[in-house]
Amino acid sequence: MIEVKNLTKSLPNGRKLLDGISFKVKKGEFVGILGPSGAGKTLTLRCLNGLLKPDSGSVIIKSENSEPLDICKIDKRELRRVRQKIGVIFQGYHLVKRLSALENVMIGKLGQINTFRSLFYGFTDAEAEDALKALDRVKMSQLAGMQTGSLSGGEMQRVAIARAIFQSPTILLADEPISNLDPSNAKTIMKMIKPLSEQMPVVGVFHQPEMTAKYCTRVIAIKEGKVIYDGDPKLSNKRLEEIYGEELELIEQQEHMMPLTAK
Amino acid sequence: MTLLMIISIVVALACIYTDFNPIAFFVEFHYVRDLLGEMSPPNYRVLTDDPSTGMAILQTLSMAFLASLYGGVIAVVIAFLAASNTMPYKVVRDFFRFLLSLLRVIPALAIILIFVIAVGPSTFAGMLTLVIVTIGNFGKLFTEMLENVDNPPGEAIFSVGASRMQVIRYSIIPQILPTLMANLIFAFDVNIRTAISLGIFGGGGIGFKLQLAKSVLHYKDVAAIVTLIIVLVTGVEKISNYLRRKILGEGKLK
Amino acid sequence: MRLKEFKFKRYRKFILPSVILLAVTEGAAIICGATFDDLFGGLGRGVLFLGNLFPPNWGAFPEMLDPALKTIIIAFLGTLFGSLMSIFFALLAASNLANPWVRNATRFFIAVERAIPEAVILILLIAAFGLGAMPGVVALSLGCIGMLGKLLADVIEGIDPLLIESMESVGGNKAQVIVFGVLPQILPNIISYTLFRFDINIRLSVLLGAVGAGGIGYELDYSFGMLDYHRAFTAMIFIIVIVFGTERLSYYLRKKIKMEGALT
Repeated sequence: MIEVKNLTKSLPNGRKLLDGISFKVKKGEFVGILGPSGAGKTLTLRCLNGLLKPDSGSVIIKSENSEPLDICKIDKRELRRVRQKIGVIFQGYHLVKRLSALENVMIGKLGQINTFRSLFYGFTDAEAEDALKALDRVKMSQLAGMQTGSLSGGEMQRVAIARAIFQSPTILLADEPISNLDPSNAKTIMKMIKPLSEQMPVVGVFHQPEMTAKYCTRVIAIKEGKVIYDGDPKLSNKRLEEIYGEELELIEQQEHMMPLTAK
Repeated sequence: MTLLMIISIVVALACIYTDFNPIAFFVEFHYVRDLLGEMSPPNYRVLTDDPSTGMAILQTLSMAFLASLYGGVIAVVIAFLAASNTMPYKVVRDFFRFLLSLLRVIPALAIILIFVIAVGPSTFAGMLTLVIVTIGNFGKLFTEMLENVDNPPGEAIFSVGASRMQVIRYSIIPQILPTLMANLIFAFDVNIRTAISLGIFGGGGIGFKLQLAKSVLHYKDVAAIVTLIIVLVTGVEKISNYLRRKILGEGKLK
Repeated sequence: MRLKEFKFKRYRKFILPSVILLAVTEGAAIICGATFDDLFGGLGRGVLFLGNLFPPNWGAFPEMLDPALKTIIIAFLGTLFGSLMSIFFALLAASNLANPWVRNATRFFIAVERAIPEAVILILLIAAFGLGAMPGVVALSLGCIGMLGKLLADVIEGIDPLLIESMESVGGNKAQVIVFGVLPQILPNIISYTLFRFDINIRLSVLLGAVGAGGIGYELDYSFGMLDYHRAFTAMIFIIVIVFGTERLSYYLRKKIKMEGALT
């Protein structure tokens, strides 16, 4: 479970980027965070795994058999340990293009492997077998040996998901995972992420309200650093206008390209 | 137009100052003809009869090879210590950046002279000089290479809880490895030429042989050695280009 | 894909090159008398020797000024004449300006020139003309051709063919196309590459000075020969200042010209 309490972060000139963000996500939930650009969605997500430290507030992570831990208050070493169990997928996939798909997946466990061994010996056969199984789950085991740079966008994102799965994480975070993909690949990816939410809380930032409406169990909308909506993923047009403000016009124009399922 | 006049005057002054008479080159061109006369036909017996010539060629090749290898490796290590994304401590970074600048600016001449005294005139001295020269030439380049590496995969690896060393091993090194190797091969190409020049000062190898032949006025030998040098350098260049193209695909370095 | 096949395939391609590399390194080390630990021993001794250089002989300062200036001027003249010659050769070596025979012959000549180290050129010139600044300048000029000739020829071949065609179609002859079309187009390249080469030529001028061209390189060599290491250090300081200054100047000027393809 993740509990976010009152996150705030301001720029030196006083402008508030995050203004008291609070919400809770439990196992079994697939939460989509929506909002206009610059609203603070990605910043919030980065606070969830410690890539960003807020000025105040807390991010409490509690897994089944351990004590709750506030990410914002722990030191670097502890943070590293906690990160081993937080899986992240990114908009740009963030894979090492020169390495094979299999190696990229095995990188997921680097935090959990003894540093010395990982530097000089690499990965064990057992780890490689498990990595293959993870690739199997995303239907990429055929391409395990291929250099990642030669894969397509959809395939790369699937490898990234496999990397996250390989970590056996207790939480999964996703930073605009489908923004770089065409609609068919986007659907595939969403279909792969959804079942993972049965084992762990999944929080993702999205720009595609129709996708979150279809696959997420809950939607949180952030605007100007504040949570303005937290509930049913199927958003009414009026809601959408509240969230995106003037940008709704753009969406209306593109309606035939991005059909909104909620009417 | 005035620019042209100024330049001409400056050039004229420069020539006078150094006793350089461009016309002299053409007026005295017969010296060149005389020399060419003395140099032909080139005496290739120097290669076939004298085993030390072949040895000298091997020495030059070895010098350049080892210096590129050792120098390249040391340059990479220093680059890791000088790059902002691999060395978080500014003091260490600044120190090694300064060291690299220093090595780049000290003239190769001074270095060879020092080593010739320190370890004796030999191929060893030449190799040590080349090592320093290689570090000076490539240290800065490697540092920039490291800093220009793609950041996102590194961030992802930090996100799984890895340490900086692991990020270096799994994100940075795989990304720079091909360019690094191509540069080492390029270093070999450059170092062959320098090795020959240094040989003239006591660095051993074919440069030394050339100087020797010239000092006893065996111009036919000199001619033969010069052609050998041309073949050697061109050969190395071709191999170097071929290997680099294989490693990098398209688009070589300089 | 089976795991065992995957691993084997990946590492198999590294085995042969690694073995060759190791063998060659061993062979080279034997030839040079330089194994890896020798390397650090040798470097160490070099560094220790540096102690003999301090302090520099400040008294020798004034007498180094003249040779220093000579070295700079030799490099300057060498670069100047060298770049002019290179432009000439580059024009001959461009496929869009010269017929294939001329072009290939020139390219061959440029490549051969590039293969001859400048020190070797100098030795030959000294054999012909004796010592002095003249062989030095000529050696540096010829040395430019290999680099600048090739670079400029490549640039010329990269010129938009429409430019040349349009000039020819309004009735211009070859010479006019070159003077009014090609040269202005490649002028930034010429300046940028020449500045880059000047940096290189300064260092070469120092080296060639000791081979016989005179200048501060000669002073350095002479001082070492006389075992007067403090004087040598003074010369070294001059050289370092000159080289560093030239590098900065060259870099700064090239940045100001700021064109695409300028070498850093």
